[in-house]
Order: sequence, then C-alpha cells, then structure tokens
Amino acid sequence: MLPLSLLNAAQNKPMLVELKNGETFNGHLVNCDNFMNITLREVYQTSAEGDKFWKLRECYIRGSTIKYLRVPDTLLDAVKEEQNRAREAGRSARGAHVSGAGQRGRGAPQRGRGMVRGGGPARGGRGRGRGM
Amino acid sequence: MDSLIPFTTSGSLVDCVDRKMLVVLRDGRKLQGVLRSYDQFANLVLEDTVERIYHQDVFAEVWRGLFLIRGENVVLLGEIDLDQEDEIPLRQVEWAVLEAYHKQDIADKKKREDIKSQVLYEQKGFCKEGGEGDGY
Repeated sequence: MLPLSLLNAAQNKPMLVELKNGETFNGHLVNCDNFMNITLREVYQTSAEGDKFWKLRECYIRGSTIKYLRVPDTLLDAVKEEQNRAREAGRSARGAHVSGAGQRGRGAPQRGRGMVRGGGPARGGRGRGRGM
Repeated sequence: MDSLIPFTTSGSLVDCVDRKMLVVLRDGRKLQGVLRSYDQFANLVLEDTVERIYHQDVFAEVWRGLFLIRGENVVLLGEIDLDQEDEIPLRQVEWAVLEAYHKQDIADKKKREDIKSQVLYEQKGFCKEGGEGDGY
C-alpha cells in the first residue's frame, strides 16, 4: 500500500492537511493526483499560529506545499480488506475459466521466466541479479 | 535479496517497514509510529503515531493517529529499540503541563537564530536566508 494509493483510497474521507508554512486545512477529500495535489470540500482553514479560522466551501492545494496529511485510523484496515476482497474475486474469476493446460500461476513452468530453453544453464529469472 | 535492492535512500527503508520509528520533521516536530509504507520520494505512512515534546529531562506525548508525511519534510527517520525505549532517564508528564514550556523553548530558539542570522548578514557578509519571506 503505497502512500499515494492510501491517499487515493481516502477519497470522501475527512482529513487534516498541514502545509509547510504551518497552516492547516480540515475537510473531506474530493480528489487527488500523483503530485499529491488535492481538492477538499467543506474546509476549515486555520492559520499557522492557530489564532485565525476560515471556512471554505471547496479548496485546491498544490501537492508541493504539503507537510503532512492526517487521515482516519480506520483507513488502513479498510484498504487492506478491500485489497483482499479484490484478490479473492480475481482468483475465483480466473479459477472458473482457466483450467487444465498446466495451471498458470505459482510453481508451474511458464514462458518468459528464464526456465530451461535451448539447453542453456537455468538462471534465476526474476529481475536483475548478480549475473551468476 | 540484498543485491536486488539498489542502495538508494528509499531502497534502504525496506528493513524499517512494520517497525516502530522516530521521525523528525523539518519544523522540529518529533513523531513516533509504526512505518507501514513508503515510496521513492520517502513519503511515509505512519500508523499509531504519537507526537512527543521534550523540555530538559521531561517529555510529554499526545496521540495523533495515522499520518501520511510528504518525504521532503523529513529530517530523520530512525528505528526505536523496543528493549531500550523504556530505559531512557526521562520523566513523562501531562501534555498540557509541558506545552507552554515547549512553546517557550521554540520562541527562544527562534530569537537566537534571528540574532545569529542578523550578525552573519551585517558583519560577516552572508546573504539573508529565506529571502522570499513566504515561509516555503
């Protein structure tokens, strides 16, 4: 779960955003992108000293000005569950259609993974290793 | 496995995942939490985070929860030794008690830094830092 995927999963959730200059924004996440640019709705803005407040209906924050975001504690669990569900769904869908013919998946020989081909020495297929 | 992960700053964080970590931010804040995730910018996800403040030989902490920290604001990321963290010779007090002292410490430090940069500027030929004056 990469930090930015977590942010994506936080859409429509309440959050607190603190900027590098100390200002904070409390609101619900509307949207975000891979630069961490975000839009919030129903926002309470607080000055860096914590003595002035503004209410904004909607606001846009450039990602590069952000110090950190505080998101609901329950978000991590929710996302993990969602991922599990998606995996299960994917597995059962594939399992129903693809069968026989050497079961694609873990363990079974596959093409393109550096298994014995043309009689050369079998080298580890994954990634760039140390050569040998 | 070692050889598969290049020695880059973010590459060496794998070992820290699911460990209790101390994060110091550029604004001086100190956060402790469990590192759950990171990316190539060293953006961090910290779970069960507490913020700590210190003054002389006492400290206080307050619950903050789940954090997503933008990597460029991180000064330091260090693992907390669970066997030794309770052995530090510091006394814990209520946050409300310590907060005023902590704010005073910050104000004092700012005053010292201002004087220092003023001297550097007027007498030592340095340029002014943060000249744009926008706090970024």
